[in-house]
Amino acid sequence: MLTYITRRVLASLLILLGASFIVYMLVAYSGDPLAEIKSSNSPSKEARIAQRTEALHLDVPPALRYFIWLGGAVKCVVPFVGQCDLGVTLQNQPVTVALSTAIPTTLQLVTTAAVLAITIGISIGIVTALRQYSTLDYGVTFVTFLFFSLPIFWVAVLLKEFGAIKFNTFLYDPYIKNSTILLISLVMGLLWAVLLSGSWKRRGITFVSAFAVTAGVLYFLSVTRWFSEPSLGIVVILVTGVAIAFGSTVLFAGLRNRRALYSSLIMVGLGGVAYYALQPLWDRATLWLVIGLGILAIVAGWLVGRFMGGYDHQQSSRAAMLTSFGVSGLVLLDQFMKNWSRYASDPHIRQRPIATIGAETPGLNGDFWLTGIDKYTHLVLPTIALILISLASYTRYSRASMLEVMGQDYVRTGRAKGLSERVVVTRHAFRNALIPLATIVAIDIGALIGGAVITESVFSFKGMGVLFLNGVRDHSPNPVMGVFLVTGITAVVFNLIADLAYSALDPRVRVKA
Amino acid sequence: MKIRRLSAGVAVIAAGALVLTACSNEPSDNASASPSASSSGAASTTGGTVTVSETNEFFSFNPSTANGNTDINSKISLATNSHLYYIDDQLKVQHDDSFAKTEKLSDDPLTVKYTINEGKKWSDGEPIDANDLVLAWAVFSGYYDDAKTDDSGEVVSGASYFSYAGSTLGLGLTDFPEIGDDGRSITLKYSKPFSDWEVALDLDRPAHVVAKNAGLADAAALTDLLKNTPRGNPDKPAKNDALKKVADFYNTGFDSKTLPSDPELYLSSGPYIVSDVQEGQSVTLVPNKTYDGDQTPKLDSIVMRTIADPSAAITALKNGEVDVVSPQANADTLAALEGVPGVQVHQGLQLAFDHIDLNSTGVFKDKNVREAFLKTIPRQAILDAIITPLDPKATVLNSVLFVPAQPGYAKTIETNGFKDFVEPDIAGAKELLGGKTPTVKLLYNINNPNRVDAYTLIAKSAKEAGFKIVDEGDVDWGSRLGDGSYDASIFGWINSGVGVSGVPQIYGTGQSSNFNKMSDKAADAQMSELIQTIDPAAQEDLQVQIEQKIGATFTTLPFFQSVGVDAVADRVKGIDTYNPNQNGVWWNTWEWTVDDAS
Amino acid sequence: MTTILENTADVPGGKPVLPEKPEETRGLSQGQIVRKRFFGHTGAVVSIFVLAAVLVLSISAIGLGPIPGWWKYGYTETPALMNGGHPTLQLFPFSLGEHPFGQDRVGRDMFAMTLRGAQISLFVMIVVGAIAALVGVLIGASAGFFRGKTEAILMRFTDMVIIIPALIAAAVVAQAAKGPVLLAIFLGLVSWTGMARLVRGDFLSLREREFVDAARLAGASNSRIIFKHILPNAVGVITVNTTLLMSAAILTETALSYVGLGIQAPDTSLGKLISDNQAAFSTRPWLFWWPGLFIVVICLTINFIGDGLRDAFDPRQKKLNVRRVKESPDRPDAQGVPALVNNAPSGPSSALTSGLYQNLDQPADGGEGNEETHR
Repeated sequence: MLTYITRRVLASLLILLGASFIVYMLVAYSGDPLAEIKSSNSPSKEARIAQRTEALHLDVPPALRYFIWLGGAVKCVVPFVGQCDLGVTLQNQPVTVALSTAIPTTLQLVTTAAVLAITIGISIGIVTALRQYSTLDYGVTFVTFLFFSLPIFWVAVLLKEFGAIKFNTFLYDPYIKNSTILLISLVMGLLWAVLLSGSWKRRGITFVSAFAVTAGVLYFLSVTRWFSEPSLGIVVILVTGVAIAFGSTVLFAGLRNRRALYSSLIMVGLGGVAYYALQPLWDRATLWLVIGLGILAIVAGWLVGRFMGGYDHQQSSRAAMLTSFGVSGLVLLDQFMKNWSRYASDPHIRQRPIATIGAETPGLNGDFWLTGIDKYTHLVLPTIALILISLASYTRYSRASMLEVMGQDYVRTGRAKGLSERVVVTRHAFRNALIPLATIVAIDIGALIGGAVITESVFSFKGMGVLFLNGVRDHSPNPVMGVFLVTGITAVVFNLIADLAYSALDPRVRVKA
Repeated sequence: MKIRRLSAGVAVIAAGALVLTACSNEPSDNASASPSASSSGAASTTGGTVTVSETNEFFSFNPSTANGNTDINSKISLATNSHLYYIDDQLKVQHDDSFAKTEKLSDDPLTVKYTINEGKKWSDGEPIDANDLVLAWAVFSGYYDDAKTDDSGEVVSGASYFSYAGSTLGLGLTDFPEIGDDGRSITLKYSKPFSDWEVALDLDRPAHVVAKNAGLADAAALTDLLKNTPRGNPDKPAKNDALKKVADFYNTGFDSKTLPSDPELYLSSGPYIVSDVQEGQSVTLVPNKTYDGDQTPKLDSIVMRTIADPSAAITALKNGEVDVVSPQANADTLAALEGVPGVQVHQGLQLAFDHIDLNSTGVFKDKNVREAFLKTIPRQAILDAIITPLDPKATVLNSVLFVPAQPGYAKTIETNGFKDFVEPDIAGAKELLGGKTPTVKLLYNINNPNRVDAYTLIAKSAKEAGFKIVDEGDVDWGSRLGDGSYDASIFGWINSGVGVSGVPQIYGTGQSSNFNKMSDKAADAQMSELIQTIDPAAQEDLQVQIEQKIGATFTTLPFFQSVGVDAVADRVKGIDTYNPNQNGVWWNTWEWTVDDAS
Repeated sequence: MTTILENTADVPGGKPVLPEKPEETRGLSQGQIVRKRFFGHTGAVVSIFVLAAVLVLSISAIGLGPIPGWWKYGYTETPALMNGGHPTLQLFPFSLGEHPFGQDRVGRDMFAMTLRGAQISLFVMIVVGAIAALVGVLIGASAGFFRGKTEAILMRFTDMVIIIPALIAAAVVAQAAKGPVLLAIFLGLVSWTGMARLVRGDFLSLREREFVDAARLAGASNSRIIFKHILPNAVGVITVNTTLLMSAAILTETALSYVGLGIQAPDTSLGKLISDNQAAFSTRPWLFWWPGLFIVVICLTINFIGDGLRDAFDPRQKKLNVRRVKESPDRPDAQGVPALVNNAPSGPSSALTSGLYQNLDQPADGGEGNEETHR
């Protein structure tokens, strides 16, 4: 194993060296970084040319210049040699400094998007695989392909227009027209009817009830001006919590496992108690407090499951942990919602909360809640855009993987020995379908670190994508190489992780030592 | 995005430089498309925040250096400093009497005295005095430079000390200033008259900070060092480590993309002071508490946000995230801005114009071929395609030195001959060519739609006259300018709006920005006379004569003056007109107020 | 949840159910089965026709190279602006009018430009697909067949190319020369990596099969084994991957145009048209919607064709008798070829595995260009 890893790492180093040389040459020969100065009528033209020539070593031929760069870059990995030196940008900023601000920005942008795209994509993929060639399958295929085919800046323009500008204007007076309610309810009704297939009668009932529930909820939200002063309240939290409890029990243990169900329900109850007990704490909330409470909730779920669960306590623990996590999420969400109107009326926001540019509102000095909401309002649109376009691949992958697994002999065996379909799907098929996905996800995450060039430009995020793009535009190799180094290393590392994860998950695959 | 090439490539660098046309004392046409808000008097509210969208990223607190001299650095510096002069939206040089006094003591020899008012302080409490002015003079004059460079720009001997973005032409004519007894004034004596003396010197970075960071005791020590150093002589370079240290800190010490931990690096002498910088994203300005001049700030804060994509900026304006945008104007952005509710759109003519340059070498060595080519250019059609949708009243620009709003314009178009080339004269061109079919390589910026459109129209028309056009559209057009790899080039010039010292730089024989290598001995002589002429009327006469000679060479032809546009949310008061110079809306930040009731 | 599978086994109305029995008894060839299955995929069939229509329209309307088309305007001509450049297309009654898709601000005919853009985009797509397939198959096949040193070198080379961002290649092209040909070739030269990995994985598995041994015993040369025996078995993977490569290529070109490094004026592509006319979104939407519509249509149809092909080549297709299509349980990766794990990890069904893995090296969000760009 160790030899394998060492060999892989050494090979990767060589690959990185080779690729970095090629990339450097390509950027160096892509154009003249002095062009903008040369075309100017600045009186200090000569001085500027001389200065830039010196800063970027333009008097050295590119092939040799690469080694100057490499000499600096090597210092980053060799300890005790000295400072990391990746050269400077055209504005005389060290690339290391530029990277140190670009990397967090990019991570912030892509992390949520990646997690959500993977979760949603895999869920949809699994469901469509279970319903292969149903209306749902065709619909989802069409929609995901459609999203995949949309240029992202196109999506961004539409999202900004409707998700931000129109929505913010709607928030001034959050009253939903009856015709709109009707339309949305119809769509929701149809969606549910397609989702929960069955006989026509069953579909009809699904449609009618979904329609009615949606219409009712929307009407309620509309008349109570919920959108400008949103909150969940204890009732919604408890009801949703019970639903989560049932859901997670079904997923992990099956409803017949009463102990698991009771564990989950206890967690809902505890969540309700915490809802009131924690109120005084919220004013002084910090990120660490919230994370700590979240961990506490999960630990509590595990304990409750452990004590309630009897001999199969793992199932109960899992169900209780998931429920507990869900309920605490709801409690937290409720707190954020309670701070929403305070955020919206801040003089920096002026009742237009959803943002179209940047990562945060400059000058907004708020507590944990306000900055949290601020992050959310800035990230929501780019995240949606990224999810939409990357949904297709995850959906297709997981669908194909699930289909493959469902055709395996052991699934048939499982059914044949009388296991319920739930057990077959969740225990036997689902987990095995996830194995190949694990590698895809690992490799994708490696790629995502490179940032989303277009998304970052359109939404004015100053992440690695923009740093890279500006470097390419200015024909300035240093920032390009800086980003390349980060992405190259992550790609190599995550490839390795993917391979190792694969052999860990699938015992049939072994790595050669 | 690509439209920005002109501003990114040329404007940014040209900012602060004194370039071509002589608009010094004349207002340009500021006709607003929509009447400006009836706000000027009514707005008296204080507080609030104004957010301005800008294209470029802030990265230096010192815009006087060659590296830091970009539009946005200059704008932030403008709002956070007091100035010996500033340029208003009518392109008039203004003086802030509450800060300093500028007096011209005599015309011959030209002598100017600058006095900073008593009690003026930097935001750290240190007084602003003659030491600061001496440092500024040392930088702006290039007095100590003794570097010799070879053709490639490599320094072969000596050293260039302060890296100054502007021209050292004017203050280079002065000797070490005489410091007044009050310690707050300096007097400069020019060895020759200098046309642009009024905008030659301004307050720069605090001398005490530069001194301290260069290892000197205080600002007075810096002044002594400067005083005791003789004028640099390239033939006899002298090594001066102390000065080098000062210059090195001055050149790079104020560069920072984030808020420096040392507050001395962003001291303010003006109404506002920087309070926060988010790298590449925003700069926040708040009122400077130590400021006691007339330009009292009225807002709680001004936030500059960098939005590179013009469409994104307009969307942000629509969404209320920014209050002021100044995108590149084209028919679509203008229509989009006019569609935004609650916004005032100001439109005006920029001090930039697109033109075509013909080399006087290669296929265009023959003057007749040049004239024939100019005859084919459909200037009216180019105007109709690019500018008329923005400004229906626009006319073809017929001068490279004046804009139509100036009195000199009417005079010069009678003599410079440009007005003969409004509509294409294919027959005339064919006649001049006499059956020849020259091949013309036409260079333009492929990423600028205006240039592409102009190219398309020119190529079509020139082909009719028998020219063969080779499309040399290039993203890297800038580095090719002047390298002889093309015969004609379409690009734009931008000027600062004041001064005439830029004229020889573009049209003088052998000058660095004379890309088409046009040369006229008589014009050269008149240009050197021009920059020594102080009287505006005489300047104008000379320019008319120079332009006549430029026109006669058939090497250049202006197309149109670019249209500029900015849009301001109704809640912001104090931005009432379009400001054509490179400071854009930022020239009067102290007058801005917010009225959220509207 | 318990009835799911019973239901899905034969959901009515999805698509025509193929006659299974006769097929089996007559013993159809692989090609016939694939064709049958493919033409049973409604989406793919419709897509083929739509794509063909787009291709024919774009070529016939404005011509190809020196051959003129039937449309009256060229894409570089600048006729006078009519009616502010509004589109004249009418559906009821159908008439194209003078400028069916409107005009841009200089008066260029949007119909001609859009179709020229479609031509270029299709061209880029086909060239990228062809080059990537050719290079990828050659490298992947050699690596997978010869193994050992050859494989190590070729695959390390592949790994190296994978992390070179496409954006940089495009920047060099934009600098070096104009024209779609070079851009397409360069894009092709950086997009073959995924194909090479897949083909190699497939070859690693196929070369261990009995028929290869049989061919070798019969004295077939290496090239004959590769091209006559193994390659036909890998054609499914290759075809499917190529279509997906092509749809990704169009989106990559669009992304490049957005950052100004794609097709250069005065030529045009669909991506360039939308990115140029972004600002016109709210004022002259026709400049924005028509090219956008064409991109979406081309991409969508290619994806559906790819989907159809995948279903057709997938031997585990539910619609056919699963049990009869016997799969060899070869597990090359279990034999311990480490890097393989990346490429063909779940041995049994190579075709399906390809479905899983082929996109890894294509931009998952092709419009984004980020993976391509930043790997």
